[in-house]
Amino acid sequence: MQANAILEVRDVTKRFGGVTAVNRCSLALTPGKIYGLIGPNGSGKTTLFNCITGLDPRDAGEIRFKGERIDGLKPHQVARRGIGRTFQIIRVFPELTALENLLVVTGGAFEAARRRAEELLRFVTLDRLQHEYAGNLSYGQQKLLEFIRVLMTDPELILLDEPAAGVNRTLLNELLAAITRLRDQGKTILIVEHDMKVVMGLCETVFVLDYGEKIAEGPPGVIQTDERVIEAYFGR
Amino acid sequence: MKRAFAAALGVLLLALALYPITATGYGIRFMLQLFMWVALAQSWNLISGLTGYVSFGHVAFFGTGAYATGILVATHGWHWMPASLMGGVAGAILALIIGYPCLRLKGPYFAISMLGLNEVMRVLFSYFEGLTGGGSGLSLPALHASVQIYYATGLAAVAVTATAFLIITSRFGLRLMTIREDEVAAEAMGIDTARYKLYAFLLSAFVPGVVGGLQARDQGYIEPMAVFPLLTTITMIVMALFGGKGTVWGPALGAVTLFVFQELVWARFLYLHQVLFGAIIIVVVLLMPRGILGILQQRFQLPRTI
Repeated sequence: MQANAILEVRDVTKRFGGVTAVNRCSLALTPGKIYGLIGPNGSGKTTLFNCITGLDPRDAGEIRFKGERIDGLKPHQVARRGIGRTFQIIRVFPELTALENLLVVTGGAFEAARRRAEELLRFVTLDRLQHEYAGNLSYGQQKLLEFIRVLMTDPELILLDEPAAGVNRTLLNELLAAITRLRDQGKTILIVEHDMKVVMGLCETVFVLDYGEKIAEGPPGVIQTDERVIEAYFGR
Repeated sequence: MKRAFAAALGVLLLALALYPITATGYGIRFMLQLFMWVALAQSWNLISGLTGYVSFGHVAFFGTGAYATGILVATHGWHWMPASLMGGVAGAILALIIGYPCLRLKGPYFAISMLGLNEVMRVLFSYFEGLTGGGSGLSLPALHASVQIYYATGLAAVAVTATAFLIITSRFGLRLMTIREDEVAAEAMGIDTARYKLYAFLLSAFVPGVVGGLQARDQGYIEPMAVFPLLTTITMIVMALFGGKGTVWGPALGAVTLFVFQELVWARFLYLHQVLFGAIIIVVVLLMPRGILGILQQRFQLPRTI
């Protein structure tokens, strides 16, 4: 038990039928840091995200956010506590405009929300396209829109599910710079990512999952040489 | 543009308000039916057009409202005005009871559950003969109030359209649309989707209840087969889809277009009428699922006030 952890996951288990997607997984995040969550395909990374955010309620274990239990809450309740997330597959609202995609997010007066939305659209240079339907934007633009949509509520903890997938180099560098800036503002960030360059360059601590279990935890440099991690990725 | 539209709307409403002075009995009856369809298509749009939860049993609220009003008028001697408001309340109560469990169902399962609701309501009203007269129906005391009912139905159509305008141009309406677009993402953005869906459902059930009550009063006689027809649900769906689901004016446009078309053309070709109606459903679903205003809205980036 870490007293100062913003998010604490303890012995969380999630089963789907006979498959144990997440198995007695524990981790703790300290505020103001960027964490990585890696592992081979099907190792339970996204399921763990879904347990934390309430989309797939955990079967056993505890999840605490700022010291309070959040397991058992509905997704919208978790979101309102201050946890924002993006999805592996883009989930913008296609027949809402870019601006509307941001305005729907809960919280605050309309005018304040509008100002914040316009500021965020400028931040990722989408302001020119604010009245375009989100479904008409390019893949990369939708990815950026989803990213800034999370920031509308100013969440303290941000979960990013493969933010770099399918994003070109220029856009990626902007995205990484934005993530670092958020960290500097005191946000805590947990990233699922397959691109090792991104993980190694960004994260201070990395958790490694394999078959739903946490098999390693530490700074990226150490993780890279960990025998169990190499075995999980490349086989024995 | 905005001002011109508002002025045109004002003139139209004034003309409709003055219409009964010169109108024939047929004219009043025609317009009354037209108002009814506008109100029904608009109501359906509030739940199905916005949240994407397609209700295939919306006439259940209409029929329930008709019976609630009919019983209050025929058995308890109420005036038809408060009685038809209670018809709306009855529709909303039914929506509350049925919405709580059924709005958890997704896609076709919700649609089928609503279809089932309509069948159940029809059988229930047939079964409780003591209260409803069963299959032989319920007669209301004779009353000539077509002109008053014309105004009342028109008011219902205006009220539900105004409600649609207020909802669709607000954040509440946009949040209802996020449920249609991606319910999981909506939840993850902090939107209490279960509560939003229920609110929309209650709103969409109230006016059909009122209109059902007004129809019961106007017809003077109701029976289960007549107030729970599946065709009424299908007609309001097609009207809303044709004009543009999820838009403010689409359902009204669809209702006016199809109803006028039906009266002018189809009534002269009794059998062809059904075929044409089916053909329109197919064309709308296949070629223009967004409807007329939906297509215009997307192509020209029109605001939500359309």
